[in-house]
Amino acid sequence: MINNRIKEHPIIAGFDKGPEVKFTYDGREAAGFEGEPIAAALRALGVMTHRYTVGSGEPRGIFCAIGRCTDCVMVVDGVPNVRTCMTPLRAGMDVRTQAGLAAKTPTPFEGLDPETGAFLSAEAVSDEAI
Amino acid sequence: MKRYEVIVIGAGPAGLSAACAAAEAGLETVVFDENARPGGQLFKQIHKFFGSREHQARVRGVRIGENLLKRADELGVKTVLGATVLGVYEQKEVAVRTEGEVRSYRGDAIVIATGASENMLTFDGWTLPGVIGAGAAQTLMNMHGVRPGARVLMVGSGNVGLVVSFQLLQAGCEVPIVVDAAPRIGGYGVHASKLARAGVEFRTSHTVVKAIGAGRVEGAVIAEVDGSFAPIPGTEETIDVDTICIAVGLSPMSQLADNAGCEMEYDSAKGGYVPTLNDEGLSSVPGIYCAGDMAGIEEASSAMIQGSIAGAAIARDLGYLTPDEFGERAERWRRSLDGIRSGMFAPGMKGRTDITNTDEGYPLSASLLARGFLDGADDGIFPSMIYSGGMRPIIECTQNIPCDPCQDACPRGCIVVGEDITDLPRLDIGKKCTGCALCVGACSGQAIFLIDDSLGDGYGTVGLPYEFLPLPSPGDPGKALGRDGEVVCDASVVEVRDSKAMDKTPMLVMKVPVSALGRARFFRPAENKNYA
Repeated sequence: MINNRIKEHPIIAGFDKGPEVKFTYDGREAAGFEGEPIAAALRALGVMTHRYTVGSGEPRGIFCAIGRCTDCVMVVDGVPNVRTCMTPLRAGMDVRTQAGLAAKTPTPFEGLDPETGAFLSAEAVSDEAI
Repeated sequence: MKRYEVIVIGAGPAGLSAACAAAEAGLETVVFDENARPGGQLFKQIHKFFGSREHQARVRGVRIGENLLKRADELGVKTVLGATVLGVYEQKEVAVRTEGEVRSYRGDAIVIATGASENMLTFDGWTLPGVIGAGAAQTLMNMHGVRPGARVLMVGSGNVGLVVSFQLLQAGCEVPIVVDAAPRIGGYGVHASKLARAGVEFRTSHTVVKAIGAGRVEGAVIAEVDGSFAPIPGTEETIDVDTICIAVGLSPMSQLADNAGCEMEYDSAKGGYVPTLNDEGLSSVPGIYCAGDMAGIEEASSAMIQGSIAGAAIARDLGYLTPDEFGERAERWRRSLDGIRSGMFAPGMKGRTDITNTDEGYPLSASLLARGFLDGADDGIFPSMIYSGGMRPIIECTQNIPCDPCQDACPRGCIVVGEDITDLPRLDIGKKCTGCALCVGACSGQAIFLIDDSLGDGYGTVGLPYEFLPLPSPGDPGKALGRDGEVVCDASVVEVRDSKAMDKTPMLVMKVPVSALGRARFFRPAENKNYA
């Protein structure tokens, strides 16, 4: 099962996070921590593709993570081109994979538990997180 | 239009230091930064910094960042976050966008401290999700507690590549290989050695030629390169990784200086186009100063000093410091800057591959430069590595880098660096080592080991810095690994010593046969509970 959250770190005592919140990723319920970048919450769930390019439809994901490259843009609450590495996660956000300027669900759908096929709701993640 | 005495662009180490120096002299100072948090990249730097006490050596970057923010706050520096500077115009007008609104401000003086951006490498598949910059890896794992991937190929062996590789290991990722197209490892040998003894393999004269995968990175192809960095056909090798991390240098983000009309120059040693500056950081435009990586790629310690000089120079320009007061401060800072800029990795030495000896005349280890570890061919050469029996520190520090915390740490005076902080440490064997371990925790390069051959029954102990979890417990069995990461012998943990002074670099003491004392440098627990 994908769980990219660091449970314990030899140097960092704890990560500055808000409470756990629900949001939707391509229409399915997911969870992350309020205030962390949307991109961090998605990577923790194993999501790699944030958008598809306009011309050739190639997948793009996190690249620079500091708001420079714009590879991680997605459709957030209906607004396209939102830099998910810079945008804090809030409860109830509607986060969708972007194709061109529209939303598109990636195939195969990402963030699925390879064992059960269920979407990783992050509950399994959060009880172990940090 | 709102006027400030000083407008600083960028709240990283250079900008905040400039703001502090100006505010300390009484100037009304504002700092604009486009990020949500101040500190630039300092809060991602969880390793201990090099240098001397005055450079805050052996303090972790994140703590240096906290100290700097606290100081700026105490001095009344106003920091505006989420504020993107769009341009610097005539009469020192600065256009700033916050939340979709653009406002202009005027400064009596301006400090541009916008930092650097990462260089990129293009190769087949380089746009696949899973190919990331080294900065992205640091941001995800050190700021947000999220591993970027499980198995990472690191591309680039400069200090960024080496430091980030180690941080990936600390975050629980695997780093099987570090490649570098150059024939030599670019960063400090001590950083490379930390990786090599933990099992990371170095491939110099190698590069990544392809990211494999449908929709995401599922592997990488690396290949050897020839003298002109072209891949040699037939040398390709497929590596099982899910992440490819690019650390091939930084470029100054000097666009705002250019936009402000500052005279620019191309300087490859500085990493690209940079403003032409005097030794106070003043550009060709009166009142516009520049500091930090945007003026030439170095590191945070020198950025902070450059910022301080610029801030104080502005205070002098505007009459808040007398020329003498400024001169006194500037002289101290310049000495400090000269210190951190010295040695075989100094800014002017970038790309030099012709250095074969240390300043002391000892030959550099070819194995260290190519493979990241001392292979034993140097035994008996470096005095700090010669073991003379009993409890002794062995310091595997064989390059002239500006660093001397080991000398400060030893309460007995066993370790001597001297005035010139790039000199190699020496051991005063007349002084008795008590095995206190403070030097082990103080060495930012994790290059000090405490050796003791007096355990009896043919056994001795090796004390080593161990910044990993889970921390083994006394009695735990495992293997002693050599500098190359290969198994030397069985070992068991005798003690794990930690204290506040060691600042999260505990010393793990392992029991090994006396015959292995010269080679055993790392411990691998028999049961690796790590992030399973």
